[in-house]
Amino acid sequence: MTATIFKKELTEMLRDGRFRWLSTSVLVLLGAAVLMGMAHTRDVQTQHETAQAAARQDWVGQGEKNPHSAVHYGTYAFKPTMALSAIDPGVDPYVGVSAFLEGHRQNQFEFRPAQDATAMQRFGQLTAATVLQLLIPLLVIVMGFSVFAGEREQGTLRQLMSLGISPGRLALGKALGVSGALAIVLVPAAVLGVVALTLATPGAEVAADAPRLAMMVGAYLLYFGVFVALSLAVSAKAPSSRLALVVLLGFWIVNGLVAPRAVTDVARSLYPSPSSFEFTTGIQAALADGLDGQSPTDARMAAYQQEVLAEYGVDSVDELPISFAGLRFQKSEEMGNEVFDYYYGGLNDTFESQNRVRSLSAVVAPLLAVQSLSMGLAGTDVAQHRHFSEAAEEYRRMYVGRMNEDIAQNAGAGRYVAEAGLWASVPEFDYQAPSVGWVLANHRLSILLLFAWLAVALTLAMRAASALRPV
Amino acid sequence: MLGRIIRHEWTNLAADRTVWVLAGLMALISLYGVYNGATWSAFQRENIAMALDEERDRLAGHRAFVESGQEPASRFRNPLSPDSVGGSMGRRYAYLPPAPLAPLSVGQSDLYPYYFQVSTNSKQSFLNTHELENPSNLLSGRFDLAFVVVYLLPLLILALSYDLLSSEREQGTMAMLLSQPLPLWTLALGKIALRALVVLALALGFSLAGYTAAGGALASMDALLLWMAVVAAYSLLWFGLAVAANALGKGSATNAMLLAGIWLVVVVITPAAVNLVVTTSYPIPSRVELVQALRTATEDANARSAEVLSQYYTDHPEYLPEGEQPDPNDFTLRSYAVREDVERAMAPVLERYDGQLLRQQTLVNRLKWLSPAVVAQEALNDIAGTGLARYQHFLGVVDRYHDELRSYFIPKVSARATMTTADYDAIPVFEYQEESFGEILGRVSAGIVGLALPMLLAFGVGARILRSYPVVG
Amino acid sequence: MLKATDLTKTYNGVAALDRLNLEVAPGDVFCLLGANGAGKTTTINLFLNFIEPSGGTAQVNGLDVTRQPLETKRWLAYIPEQVMLYRHLTGLENLDYFTALSGTDHYPPDQLRAFFKQVGLQDGVADQRVSTYSKGMRQKVGIAIALAKQAKALLLDEPTSGLDPKASNEFSRLLQRLSGEGVAVLMATHDLFRAKESGTRVGIMNQGQLKQTLTTAEIGHADLERIYLEQMHD
Ligand SMILES: Nc1ncnc2c1ncn2[C@@H]1O[C@H](COP(=O)(O)OP(=O)(O)OP(=O)(O)O)[C@@H](O)[C@H]1O
Ligand SMILES: [Mg+2]
Repeated sequence: MTATIFKKELTEMLRDGRFRWLSTSVLVLLGAAVLMGMAHTRDVQTQHETAQAAARQDWVGQGEKNPHSAVHYGTYAFKPTMALSAIDPGVDPYVGVSAFLEGHRQNQFEFRPAQDATAMQRFGQLTAATVLQLLIPLLVIVMGFSVFAGEREQGTLRQLMSLGISPGRLALGKALGVSGALAIVLVPAAVLGVVALTLATPGAEVAADAPRLAMMVGAYLLYFGVFVALSLAVSAKAPSSRLALVVLLGFWIVNGLVAPRAVTDVARSLYPSPSSFEFTTGIQAALADGLDGQSPTDARMAAYQQEVLAEYGVDSVDELPISFAGLRFQKSEEMGNEVFDYYYGGLNDTFESQNRVRSLSAVVAPLLAVQSLSMGLAGTDVAQHRHFSEAAEEYRRMYVGRMNEDIAQNAGAGRYVAEAGLWASVPEFDYQAPSVGWVLANHRLSILLLFAWLAVALTLAMRAASALRPV
Repeated sequence: MLGRIIRHEWTNLAADRTVWVLAGLMALISLYGVYNGATWSAFQRENIAMALDEERDRLAGHRAFVESGQEPASRFRNPLSPDSVGGSMGRRYAYLPPAPLAPLSVGQSDLYPYYFQVSTNSKQSFLNTHELENPSNLLSGRFDLAFVVVYLLPLLILALSYDLLSSEREQGTMAMLLSQPLPLWTLALGKIALRALVVLALALGFSLAGYTAAGGALASMDALLLWMAVVAAYSLLWFGLAVAANALGKGSATNAMLLAGIWLVVVVITPAAVNLVVTTSYPIPSRVELVQALRTATEDANARSAEVLSQYYTDHPEYLPEGEQPDPNDFTLRSYAVREDVERAMAPVLERYDGQLLRQQTLVNRLKWLSPAVVAQEALNDIAGTGLARYQHFLGVVDRYHDELRSYFIPKVSARATMTTADYDAIPVFEYQEESFGEILGRVSAGIVGLALPMLLAFGVGARILRSYPVVG
Repeated sequence: MLKATDLTKTYNGVAALDRLNLEVAPGDVFCLLGANGAGKTTTINLFLNFIEPSGGTAQVNGLDVTRQPLETKRWLAYIPEQVMLYRHLTGLENLDYFTALSGTDHYPPDQLRAFFKQVGLQDGVADQRVSTYSKGMRQKVGIAIALAKQAKALLLDEPTSGLDPKASNEFSRLLQRLSGEGVAVLMATHDLFRAKESGTRVGIMNQGQLKQTLTTAEIGHADLERIYLEQMHD
């Protein structure tokens, strides 16, 4: 019985000119978005690899010089891109692409691609994610708003229900009909997309990306399911198909347009980000006088010197068996790091709180849940940017520490020049992206809310269907 | 007759509760939008004020030190040295104050820096700053009045007029109406006129209310009028589209779908597609290439520093006191020469970014006419002073100020002069010169024409199709 | 007053109305009889210029309706089979609106109320919203609108459908009165009895053609029914 209904719905849908027209346009947009996305990702990946290699070469080829000069010479960390960012570039346009890793200070990531873009960027990019998050739900609504309301207006619902079909089965058949039609559009697109993506990425990465991609597919399926069920529920409940359409379009607008922006401002007012001015002046003040504002750096350094002298049981730095300059550089580094941890940690925590508000707001708009999950799986969310920037900072501290250690061990009195081999002994910066598990744990709220949406939408659909009246 | 129809439509609309709900909702979100914009402008103002305070105190400190005649503690942080003061010690803030209408449209202002710390150092050293902002927030964009106007106002208009004529047909009153000596276009015009009056009163009223609530001065009334003109032209365009869709004589559900489709294409798909075309036509390479180029250029200039130095004073005889020769071993002088050499070497590299962006913008300016939403957004940003044009104007002002600072300090550095209190008082002060209103007017007028033409087209086509409107069947 | 000359309307090559020739003079009440789909409504729609004729002309007071659609409508009043009104408005407000649009001089409210009385609607009904009206009550408002317009020609498409017998009877008398005042009436109906009662002439239509025209004064009820059924046979 359900199968019969399914077949009838599908046939009707496929004969509908509107459906064919719409689904073709959506497919074309999806295809264009994926292809352009892949081309862009490939470009960015090559540029980053070249730059990272060049930065390493510069570092290794410094020649003989004082390690502290090398610390000032510094090196760069360039943010790598995952293949899946072709599907969802996420916040990548809005975060810097590189940071200068030097001694004494933690620098912010510079050069946000969005600053090198026209204002068109702010209208939204045509990416596969946009198509999946905005346009496919619209397709679902257009297919689904009249499944019950339309039959009621045609009078065919009266006929159907006089036959004694259970409303639940009717609803299931119709849900399957809509999903089936959607599958006809999406399955070929997904297969082509996966094949193209696999061909374009190196083998090792494919293996790493596969679980992420699979989960992304799952997340979007849940999201589409929400829209299928909601469309059915509204269509069964609404007195006319015209009203059903208006209600569903209203939901679509709130979900896709109003909520994300409204949440931006709500989150900002709940957890205000510091201004850049306060941030930098705060860091400068803390570097001079400590986080409490009471412990001048000079005083602390003098105390440290006394400590070291006492430890070695000597009276002056010249009597130390090691070079105190190295120890001093390192101590100053550590005092600075404390300040950077406090400020950057605080800033990132604020961003995280804001993003939690975003995730929580998925209660009113499922888009917010699928958006953050999708960015997470594509490796383009704020959390993974933070992960990368913290790895870069860790690398900075590691290499600066090694240089200072070298000075402490090897610099005697007078001018010290390290051998050229020292630079190569610092390992290359090799960033490891976090695992899928880490990403999922980060987005557990979004996952939960996505499932909750589906459960609620299904319940609504079942309820509305069982209360279905033909007039 | 027209007046009678308008009055009748008013009674009809007023009897519909959903209309009141919609209007109330619109009021709420408009005020929320203005509130958000005003908060952002106030934030910027506050930071500019804090920065200027900091600058004043810092310079006053240095000046007091000079006055006291003490010996400087460090060669690198020396209030007596024009090199130090022209560098980071005496850095000055160049800032872009929010325009009077900024609370109405955040535009690109959350992305662009609105102040720089200008010194004799290279532009590269101070241009790459930005406000700290959660990237997720930048991705979604702000909920400001311009967003309400560009995205949501059309939806209100379409919700009020998608069944302008089709509802009369569906409820059967169309035949009754047209059995009277009443031209169809008069009926359509009357219906549209009432709705346009309501919507424009709402939209313009909220613009005005928001503007005054955000503390707007009456002095910038001309900008506000311009804003209202754009809103009116954009709104009427959507009314025109609704008339044209209704003239086709299809049912209300079809009209709703058709108009929603047009909205989607105009507001979401076309801008995104234009963006895609523009970025693939003129791709801008990642700035990672710039980082490497800058490093190479600096090393190269350092290696040739003696040669670079003599070239420097050949290019800038004004920097050197009459008859003096630069000391080729002076580390400080060399660093200025190297800086300029690097800037010269970087110019073609930077051109690849800025020039490419310029080409993108040129293409956008040509393609934007495809989507009235883009035209409206750009015009609103222009009026609010949060668009690209005013920012580029600001960069020009900063550039000139940077040159001014250099011409002030570098001759003193070259002459190994010592900073006196009089020198402190004579340091050029940054002053932002606003774009002339005529320039803004020119750009915005083009936008208004770009909205009015399709509007007239929509109404014209609507009137044309209306002639063969199927009253029955 | 109303004149059709070879008036033809085809839909996809099928004639809904086939070379209709008809003249309704002032004072005439012409009843169009015919099966469902015979072309009665089509005829009325053509006089209202709601649809374009495929051939021939329809004239009102000597003016071609396609050339002067607005002028001709000044002479016409129309009552459809289902009078549809604005549900949110009261009967009185509806009447007010439609008469205002008809171009007649503005009536004071009590005069509008008088029309309600004239068509047999109780006091108080006029101030109720139309959404509370029954079908017959709406039909009566339609009649009131037509009366208020003081038209020279009435186009009635089964105007009494849904009216109770008493109201039907009153409507017949109203038509007789109007005919006496020199109004030309063209009425499509299925009610042979009423056609004989209130009509001066009847025309029997079948498949888009006017088969036969009779003067009611010259025939009895039984004759009319017999002739009608005969015409329906082929
Ligand atoms: N829009 C249309 N498209 C195609 N055919 C039409 C259309 N309108 C009417 N017709 C056809 O024209 C013919 C005449 O229809 P009309 O409505 O005039 O009949 P009628 O005499 O009023 O019938 P009834 O007694 O049922 O009201 C019918 O065969 C009908 O099918
Ligand atoms: Mg009929």
